[in-house]
Amino acid sequence: MKHTLKYFFRIWLLMSLFLAQAQDIIPKKTSSERTKIEGEIPEAPKQAVAKPVAAAKTDSIVPLKKDRYGVRVGVDLYKLTRGLYDSNYKGIELVGDYRLTKKYFLAAELGSEDKTTVDDRLNTTTKGTYLKVGFDYNAYENWLDMENIISIGLRYGVSTFNQRLNSYKTYNAYPYFGEIPWKSSGEEFNGLTANWIEVVTGIKVKVINNIFVGFSLRMNILVADKKPSDNFENLYIPGFNRTYAGNFGAGFNYTVTYFVPLYKKTAKTKK
Amino acid sequence: MKKILILLLIAMFTVSSCEKDDICDANTPTTPRLVIVFYDINNPSVLKNVTNLKVIGDGKTEGIVFNSATDDSKYLTNGSTISIPLKTDSNTTKYSFILNSGNANPTLTDIDEVTFNYTRSDIFVSRACGFKTLFTFDPSNPFVHASVPETKLKWMQYISIEKSNIANENETHIKVFF
Repeated sequence: MKHTLKYFFRIWLLMSLFLAQAQDIIPKKTSSERTKIEGEIPEAPKQAVAKPVAAAKTDSIVPLKKDRYGVRVGVDLYKLTRGLYDSNYKGIELVGDYRLTKKYFLAAELGSEDKTTVDDRLNTTTKGTYLKVGFDYNAYENWLDMENIISIGLRYGVSTFNQRLNSYKTYNAYPYFGEIPWKSSGEEFNGLTANWIEVVTGIKVKVINNIFVGFSLRMNILVADKKPSDNFENLYIPGFNRTYAGNFGAGFNYTVTYFVPLYKKTAKTKK
Repeated sequence: MKKILILLLIAMFTVSSCEKDDICDANTPTTPRLVIVFYDINNPSVLKNVTNLKVIGDGKTEGIVFNSATDDSKYLTNGSTISIPLKTDSNTTKYSFILNSGNANPTLTDIDEVTFNYTRSDIFVSRACGFKTLFTFDPSNPFVHASVPETKLKWMQYISIEKSNIANENETHIKVFF
């Protein structure tokens, strides 16, 4: 099931990538197509080329498109609500971004997690905080005063945490004396750290006024982590999520954010 | 920049392709069994095959399964090496070694009891395999050897500890001469 979910996310990620690409191109085409429809049908193609120039000129004079710049702050609803139904999880993530240019946003996530992971033979609790800093590139070409975002970005994540081994089972391939029950341990490993790189694809949609709802998917590559001991490993890293054998991880968030406008800037006419 | 990101994303998809770590691989060395090898007492460097040896753990009614036979002969071995599990929740394991088990002439059946004394340590293996238990023989009293009934001679004439640390199954831990 876990794996099915993993592939589902991957396909989603890939799809969203194409979506972002497609949206990037469509508005450019539609503007020229629209003028084509308005233009006289029997005319030669030469005139059709000349017309849009004049049309674009008059367009830019009438409504001066102004982009709003500011800070967006919010919270991850998934982490916040998961604690309500999953007794093994408590967590919060604050998200924020700041618009640097028309396309680029400085983005960050700050979070804290307390998660008990129950595997087939291991029961561990991981507690810690994390910070992810990076940028988002908005690949979505907004019409008029729309402020939606379909982005792809990068983050650098760091986490400090501790891990406690609650109980474990020993693996015995020859259970002649019967299966051995769980053994309790309670061993604590403190002062653990990890850092990683995330590739983020996400969307943010303005629902009302300055309130945005967003969803993002993340693929993580672990750069380095401080292992609990020579013969134990980090099974869960706050912010990074479950660790896999090949140093990669995955995550997502579902955010509600509030945009605080700071200043406006006239959008430059493209090309 | 966008192109680089897309390339990076595609690279991540390929790198992260199927990595199953939920199932404990059968080849992963986990809790080792005790490896006992039988030698000829008259010629200590030569391996000697046992005849219809049955090994029963203390408190168990069925012997250790040595082969894939479907009838009771699966509990019998005629080789020179046996691997038997030790208890992972106790520091002693007692086994009855029954030579010529099931022989029509009961006087030919020899029973020796050996109690192994050891200490245990649990070592982390992986998320899927959990922990494994490694054993170290008690240095002063690694085993107690007796025959059943006690009046009878022990069929195992000499037991030698070859490795006091039982960490894997690739080596001989105990040599038995008979």
